[in-house]
Amino acid sequence: MTPLGQVVLAIEEYRRFVVSQIRKARTDHEFGQQILQKWQEAKARIGTTVTPTGLRLPRLALPDLDEAGEIARFLCEEGLPGEFPYLTAAYPEQYLEPAAINSKENENRRNHEKPFIEEPTRLFAGLGLAEDTNARFHYLSRNQRSKRLSTAFDGPTLYGVGAAADGVFGKIGEGGVAIDTVEDMERLYAGFALDQPNVSVSMTISGPAPILLAMFLVAAKHRFGPDVGPKLRGTIQADVLKEVQAQNELIFPIEPSLRFLADMVDYSSREMPRWYPISISGYHIAEAGATPVQQAAYTLSNGFAYVDYFRNRGLDVNVFGPRLSFFLDCGLDVEYVALARVCRKIWAIGMREVFGGGNRAQILKLHTQTSGRSLIAADWHNNLTRTAVELMLACMNATNSCHSNSADEPFTTPSEEYARYAAHAQAILLEESGLFRHMMNTLPGSPGMKVIGNAVEEAILEEFREIEQQGGVLGAVERRYQRSQIQASGHMLENQIYDGVRPVIGLNRYFDQGRDWPEVRMMRTQKEQKRLQLDRLQDFEKRHAEESERCLDRLSEVVDNGGNVFEELTRTVEHCSLGQMTERLCEVVGKFRPMV
Amino acid sequence: MSPIRILTAVPICDGHDSAINTINLEFIRHGIEVIYLGYHRSARDIARAAVQEDVVAIGLSTYNGGHIEFFGEVVDLLEQRRLAPPIKLFGGGGGTITHADAQIMYGHGVDRIFFAGTPLEEMVKYLRGGYGDVARFPYELAFAGSDQFLSRQLTLADNGSGLPPQASETASAASKRVRSTKVIGLTGPGGAGKTTLIDELVLRFLHSHAADRRAAILSHDPSIVGSGALLGDRATMIYSQHDRVFMRSIGTRGMTGGLSLSTDRCLRILAESNLFEFILMETVGTGQEAIPFGVDRHLVDQSVLVMPPDYGSRIQLQKIAMIDVADVIVVNKADLRGARTALTEIESRIRTNRKGQSLLCTQANRHRDTGVDQLFELLFTGTGTGTDTPK
Repeated sequence: MTPLGQVVLAIEEYRRFVVSQIRKARTDHEFGQQILQKWQEAKARIGTTVTPTGLRLPRLALPDLDEAGEIARFLCEEGLPGEFPYLTAAYPEQYLEPAAINSKENENRRNHEKPFIEEPTRLFAGLGLAEDTNARFHYLSRNQRSKRLSTAFDGPTLYGVGAAADGVFGKIGEGGVAIDTVEDMERLYAGFALDQPNVSVSMTISGPAPILLAMFLVAAKHRFGPDVGPKLRGTIQADVLKEVQAQNELIFPIEPSLRFLADMVDYSSREMPRWYPISISGYHIAEAGATPVQQAAYTLSNGFAYVDYFRNRGLDVNVFGPRLSFFLDCGLDVEYVALARVCRKIWAIGMREVFGGGNRAQILKLHTQTSGRSLIAADWHNNLTRTAVELMLACMNATNSCHSNSADEPFTTPSEEYARYAAHAQAILLEESGLFRHMMNTLPGSPGMKVIGNAVEEAILEEFREIEQQGGVLGAVERRYQRSQIQASGHMLENQIYDGVRPVIGLNRYFDQGRDWPEVRMMRTQKEQKRLQLDRLQDFEKRHAEESERCLDRLSEVVDNGGNVFEELTRTVEHCSLGQMTERLCEVVGKFRPMV
Repeated sequence: MSPIRILTAVPICDGHDSAINTINLEFIRHGIEVIYLGYHRSARDIARAAVQEDVVAIGLSTYNGGHIEFFGEVVDLLEQRRLAPPIKLFGGGGGTITHADAQIMYGHGVDRIFFAGTPLEEMVKYLRGGYGDVARFPYELAFAGSDQFLSRQLTLADNGSGLPPQASETASAASKRVRSTKVIGLTGPGGAGKTTLIDELVLRFLHSHAADRRAAILSHDPSIVGSGALLGDRATMIYSQHDRVFMRSIGTRGMTGGLSLSTDRCLRILAESNLFEFILMETVGTGQEAIPFGVDRHLVDQSVLVMPPDYGSRIQLQKIAMIDVADVIVVNKADLRGARTALTEIESRIRTNRKGQSLLCTQANRHRDTGVDQLFELLFTGTGTGTDTPK
């Protein structure tokens, strides 16, 4: 049995445990009294808040229970926010305004001053060359106390090919930022104090992730000195398995890709303890067509597969476990009412029972992005509404950070205007509306949410069982199981839209014939910029021509000798470009053979 | 009537294959033969494959920008070849290609862009109308030696096959000719890893042979007369997308046994072109009864049976006819449980055959696999090279 099979058993065992706890609370008087007392204490700890309209509310809403059995059920099945099994939320207060803001002594405070909490807003951006994206970062974060930058890379960077490679010229800086060298990386985050706790950086890249993180670390050292490592905060995606299953942006074969990843996790857990070296991603799985349940099941099972892999490498689950993060899609299907909640619960139980993870390793920390696939070109301003609804679902599921899509994304990399609306949508929901700022559990806990959650949980377990049947996650990957399921679902989805079974407003329902093609401002990278990137790359390679070959040879040696490849990359990136490094690594470990 | 034959792909640095997968299926359902090249493919790879496959049109699905340059590059590469008739280029990219973009692309010679929301039926209709009746004639001799010259010969051979090949065309003709080209036939059940193995052999060929030496691949995929087919072997090949490799995919169009009615003719054309050091022929995934290269192996110089370790029981193994006929038997996927058992059982079987057959164990999906190295040595540098020794 693989660890995934053990997770299934652990969840089933936990369900039996809940039933036994309920029975015990009802039949064992002393235990019942303990439960009641615990409940009273928990309630007593809840602070109060006063809304702008003068309404007094508790900072956490709990169900009105006075019977020990039902209380036991609530505590075991949902738990308080920030407590096992973390169904409601990873942390106790999430989006709440700090208590101090509401207290008497702070009433004189200037009312437009924003409280110091980390906004969940983290907007994905990347366009043109490093300095263009840098300007966008400054624009997006200009009003934020916490600068949460999220980086989209262009195609050549994602595939690790240099800007000079055959036929990629047109792709330079399109759909993301072009990064070829450590110098580009310095330009990318210029002006941001990466050594400060209110700045964090996310990089959405998997195939060449170790190379990019090495560039980031070295660029930061150039700017902030050699000891900056432990201060760096952020996330790099580095999710090998979902690339194989859905996104197709893998460069090296699976085995060496996993090894490079483990090297990076090993290094960053030691030298960059505030960094998240992997973001286990369902987003691309869902965008490729998976159902919400498939998204959750494949993402979680991938997560457990990584934990197993790292553990077998001799890494400590309580060291790397808290540095794992997750990334899910949030679309309009009803499952999203409870999907992320269920994921948190399954992860917590699996990590505790199967892998021996402590509290911090049990928490599934989540970034959510609203569904790009749900946005359409027809009558495209409707996309504002779609994103708003998805955003609300994401917040109901207490996501820790969030990207809301721009309405113009079916056409182009977001323009400043629609990126602003997207960011403001989050502010409207979390700051302007009263839904999330006063009280935890304002919306969760409805019978519907519970019913959906239970159905989703069972469906996820069913997927786990199927994967286990195929020899676990890696066995199923080899048999293209996840990939085939995702593709079949994607095909079904398209057919449903085509047949009208799945309403899409403005496309198969309520569409206006003869609407003109919309006037959308297209964000494109100009030829001159593309040429500039090419020139910079060639200039870098020329300046480092003497050292680069030697560095690449040493990198090959480390790969062959079984040393830590990431650690070596922190030296290689000083003198070699991304394209040079990927090419060399491909010679040594081979290329990923696409699955179709 | 021969089906419309097109090539589809996703441009370089782009992995968005969800749309193209759906579209491929729709095309096939409507009787179109689709050669799918996969995602992250360069303009050169696409143009080369289109010429070698002699398709009427190329369909590109693009989602992350740069389409004006990329489509333009494909058109330019095709134009350099002076193709007759020219291969048409169509494509789509949801909302990422604007009407203004499309105008520029049309100006550059792109045939058609489908915008967001175009029903699949409309695309199929356009393909049928625009690419349905394209007359093909042989290229002039001035083109001899070029990929398009050869590729058109193959098309005519493939389409001209209303009747089974004459006896004289098979046994005698192919085997008696003095060849400078060695033909290696690879067969085995579907999923044994034939395509991967061929790609790995090609990689070794490219490294070990001089830069002016070329190899050809003739790859078979099952198809039914009058309906579409997905010829998808190219999509998983990495190293074979190379100027030194000529690859052709043919549908079996209803023929059983692993090959097509025109295989013979195609092989002969490839061999007689004198362009290739080696021809690697891959059959469709075969059943226990199949002996695709004939009992006397007249079609090939050397035959290779590629087997997965999980063929079932010893009795199932006994039923596989090809084990008695193949020159080389390869147990691929050596990492799977059961590989040891398979090796032992097959070894004892071929020992009783007493035919001097070779048995090798490979793991083609592993980089620098030593088993594949051995197979390469045996097939590409062995004494069989360039011989006319009758088998």
